[in-house]
Amino acid sequence: MVVALEVGHAVTRRLLAAVAVLCAPSCAWAAGYAVIASGLGGEPEYEQRFRDDAKALQAVAEHSGEDMHVTALIGERTTRDALHRAITSVVERATAADQVIITLIGHGSFDGEEYRFNVPGPDVTASDLAVWLQPLAARQQLIVLATSSSGGALTKLQRENRIVITATKTGGERNATRFAEQWVKALTSNEADRDKNEWVTAQEAFDYAQRKVADAFKGNAALATEHARLEGTHPELIALARLGNAKAMPTDAQLNALFAERVRIETEFDTVKTRKAGLPDDRYYEELEKVLVGLARTQQKIDARQAALETKR
Amino acid sequence: MSGEKKAWGLGHGAWVRKEGRVSRSFLILTQAPRPRPRALVCIRAVFVCALACAVVPQTHALTLDYDPLRPTELRNCDEQRYRGRDEAAQDCYTQIFVDSHNDSLRAQAVWAMGDLAAANVLFRQYLALNPNSTLARVAWGRLFLETHQDDDALKLFREAATADATNTQAKLGMAQIFARRFEGAARGLVAEVLKQNDELVEAHLLLARMDLEEGQLEDAERSLDKAQSIADKHKQAALEVYSLRAALDLTRGGDGTKWINRALAYNAHYGNVYATLAHFETMRRRYAQAADLLRHAVRLEPGLSSAHAELGANLLRIGATGEGQRELATAYEGDPYSTTTVNSLRLLDRFNEFDDSVAPSEFPVRLRLNKKESAALRPYVEQLAQKSIATYSERYKFKPRDTVTVELYPNHDDFAVRVAGLPGIGLLGVTFGYLIAMDSPSGRATGDFHWGTTLWHEMAHVFTLEATDHRVPRWLSEGISVFEEWRTGPTPGVAVTPDVFKAYQEGRFLKVEELDSGFIRPSYPNQVQVSYMQAGLTCLFIEQHFGFDRLVAFLYEFKKETTVGAAVKAAMKVSPAEFDKEFDAFMKQRYAALLPHMDEWQHNYKAAYEAIEEKKWPAAIEAARKAVAMYGEYVGDGSPYLLLAKAYKESKQPAQALQTLLDYRHAGGWDPEALRELARDLQASGRSADAIEVLLAVNYGDPLKEESHASLGDALLAAQRPQEAMREYRTLLALDTHDKATAHLGIARALRSMGDRAQAKRSVLQALETAPSFRDAQKLLLEMTDERE
Repeated sequence: MVVALEVGHAVTRRLLAAVAVLCAPSCAWAAGYAVIASGLGGEPEYEQRFRDDAKALQAVAEHSGEDMHVTALIGERTTRDALHRAITSVVERATAADQVIITLIGHGSFDGEEYRFNVPGPDVTASDLAVWLQPLAARQQLIVLATSSSGGALTKLQRENRIVITATKTGGERNATRFAEQWVKALTSNEADRDKNEWVTAQEAFDYAQRKVADAFKGNAALATEHARLEGTHPELIALARLGNAKAMPTDAQLNALFAERVRIETEFDTVKTRKAGLPDDRYYEELEKVLVGLARTQQKIDARQAALETKR
Repeated sequence: MSGEKKAWGLGHGAWVRKEGRVSRSFLILTQAPRPRPRALVCIRAVFVCALACAVVPQTHALTLDYDPLRPTELRNCDEQRYRGRDEAAQDCYTQIFVDSHNDSLRAQAVWAMGDLAAANVLFRQYLALNPNSTLARVAWGRLFLETHQDDDALKLFREAATADATNTQAKLGMAQIFARRFEGAARGLVAEVLKQNDELVEAHLLLARMDLEEGQLEDAERSLDKAQSIADKHKQAALEVYSLRAALDLTRGGDGTKWINRALAYNAHYGNVYATLAHFETMRRRYAQAADLLRHAVRLEPGLSSAHAELGANLLRIGATGEGQRELATAYEGDPYSTTTVNSLRLLDRFNEFDDSVAPSEFPVRLRLNKKESAALRPYVEQLAQKSIATYSERYKFKPRDTVTVELYPNHDDFAVRVAGLPGIGLLGVTFGYLIAMDSPSGRATGDFHWGTTLWHEMAHVFTLEATDHRVPRWLSEGISVFEEWRTGPTPGVAVTPDVFKAYQEGRFLKVEELDSGFIRPSYPNQVQVSYMQAGLTCLFIEQHFGFDRLVAFLYEFKKETTVGAAVKAAMKVSPAEFDKEFDAFMKQRYAALLPHMDEWQHNYKAAYEAIEEKKWPAAIEAARKAVAMYGEYVGDGSPYLLLAKAYKESKQPAQALQTLLDYRHAGGWDPEALRELARDLQASGRSADAIEVLLAVNYGDPLKEESHASLGDALLAAQRPQEAMREYRTLLALDTHDKATAHLGIARALRSMGDRAQAKRSVLQALETAPSFRDAQKLLLEMTDERE
């Protein structure tokens, strides 16, 4: 779910967590759209892996919110036409306030000019994707190309309000990539949730997956044959996966007030942090402690109130 | 090289003036069309001009040429040079250069004057016109030998030998290369040559050198007697004979003075006599003594670059880095062809990438770790190094007299250069007295080697070397290191690989008095690895048959100069022949279940492997169980234990799978993924204390992977071992873990448990600084706040 950005990015992150917990089906919040496609594997092992990854991401997307619209194209269903239709449907429905995530998993290739995502029948090119997505109005767009040679698609897909993540830094990195596996792991476990807010953002997932891929090559004392890239701004604002079983909670005036208080304290927290470089350590941590104790106590009250409301339900 | 028609021409020349004399000429060679006669005269004129003014210092060790077919003109000049009469030699060689029309002769003349590049040009020119000349081809090969280009030299020698199968000089050239590489083929070639002609001084000298290197002193003496008698008969310079006699004397406990004096009486500036002694001291790992001898060498002969290079290398081995670097730089000035010198200097330039620290303790250890990984590795290396020193001090009754330095190299080629000046060696670690250099765990793939065992092994060398003043035979030092791996190391268990049993059954085990040759000059492809195991088994045999105290006594026999045979008699009260017989009986008895049934073991192992591939679990269990029962010591790659555990797991027998992995570990198995799996299974079975011990062991195999540190930290905290828990969480931070908040929280809990409230508070704040919504950290913060209030 996407929340208004007027209060600034730091606060936006806070509101994400609050809203995700709060929002009842009656809330008039913006929607999310996810298109996930797995391509040709070539060999049975890859076929299975791509399918499993796509299914896992589908489950993640469906769990992330009631207003998330998910289209998954897996295996033979992933044709150029099918992907075109899926994307066009999103383009037609998504508004500026919405969030759109396109994820492609499989094998890619690059001939020096054009990137291709390998699917049954004609391949999908980066030019295709660029043209299909051109009219997309959503102000938060994320395209994830978890395939070999995906770096070759970057220049054609980059634009304002869009984050592009590729498994390779250029089209020349042609080996089958490990990125998809780690990307899935980032979104299906709590290991990537660096700030422990029970959401995994695009930034957290990317950092996690990139690190795990690098570690895997180091563990084999091998030269890395892939280097993931992230282009675009504020990937920390795109929430991809909600952890735990939190569902939309009932709310009341008291709880809303507590949420507002929490947002206020979190803003204060961000302010204290910006002053770190200019303060002696002891002084900085003293100030931080005051704010964090306040935050912890407020969170305690929120948890207690939510538990009480849940019991009443 | 054969078949080339182009000629090289002189493109540019520059002079370096130093103290009013031309000290060196540099020739930059360009490929040019075959020069016309006038150009040739021009080249010659330039050379004459240069050489008339120059006394080119000898930068390579004076190599004597004993070839009976060497042209008389050259031999006349050689006599002057061997005597150290440089100016007379210079005049003599210059005359040859000016007067002769034979470019091969001229090449050898300018070579003798120190101009190797010009010699190369002339040889190439000559062979272009006279491709069938084996004499010139061999001489050119010797030039490449002198400039460390062994592969090119070998090519030329082979070409000459192909053209003339009876060419003894070509064979001797090849033998020199193989001997330098410590390859067994050297001896065969020398034997062939001597069969053709027993009067070749060089052949006898080479044999003597190899015998000395292998500790075969009587054989060496016989060869030297023969070499000397031939040299005397033909009035050849016996400088190298004297040098090797001095080395023999030193090895026997003398000081070589008589022979040093004879060499210096012949040539007062013959630094190589000391360099030769130093070579054998280096072979015996007496690096400090080698350095002293090399200092003598360069004092006598300051331009002897090879001695400067060796001195530099030995100084690096004993930790005198600054002086070592200076010597190497001097060596490079005189001999820019040496790749080992260049590599070593480049490596030294990168020493600033390493942290250097000494941890104070009863057994201080200096650690030199790459800055990128020092924070993560230090606690484990320090702890294991100190533990090993304490263990060996107790067992071998020797306290180190100096601080032990341990260097870990993430880049294997850097380690190889540190050790041998060249990349590509197959070793994992080397000890030079109080200095240990080894691969870092990050330098190899996970599961490739066990860094903790390597450190344990190398530390044993510190003790065996220093306790005997570096006189311990190579095989015994290796044997004790391997034995200690099995007995006291981080992966205890006598782990012997199948190829060792194969070698034993084929009669390839060596007698105890000859065991050094298995290391120094292996005669079959994996003899070095087999020799390591045989040495370890020999020490195990001594422990089991005579007692551990006898093994220690045997080691200490080598505090003085002695032989293996004498030491065996003194320590074990049996003759070497009896020892060998009893060792053989020990092997047959210890491996009675396996040795007669190796084929059956192989069959079961293969059957288990295939059954696993085909997912036939009952069949896999049956075959793997038999394999394990027959050969419980095989814990290497793809061990039957691991196959058995997998089969049990897949057939839903978790208790048996767990027990199998425990058995694997007790037998010395250390595969990190297998141990992590074992730890998870133990945790799941409620055996947290056992799980902790297994995860602690994983740190000595694979310390740079995050996953075990987090779970180990939590388990240690739960087991109220907060100090150790903190180490694990700090390692996570040092590894730049993605989830820093959890690591900080772990540290906070540990500190709180240890009573350090202030630091605990700081750590929990650091956790929340990264993750303000972190519930567990919030809870701890409030607890601590409420406690205070």
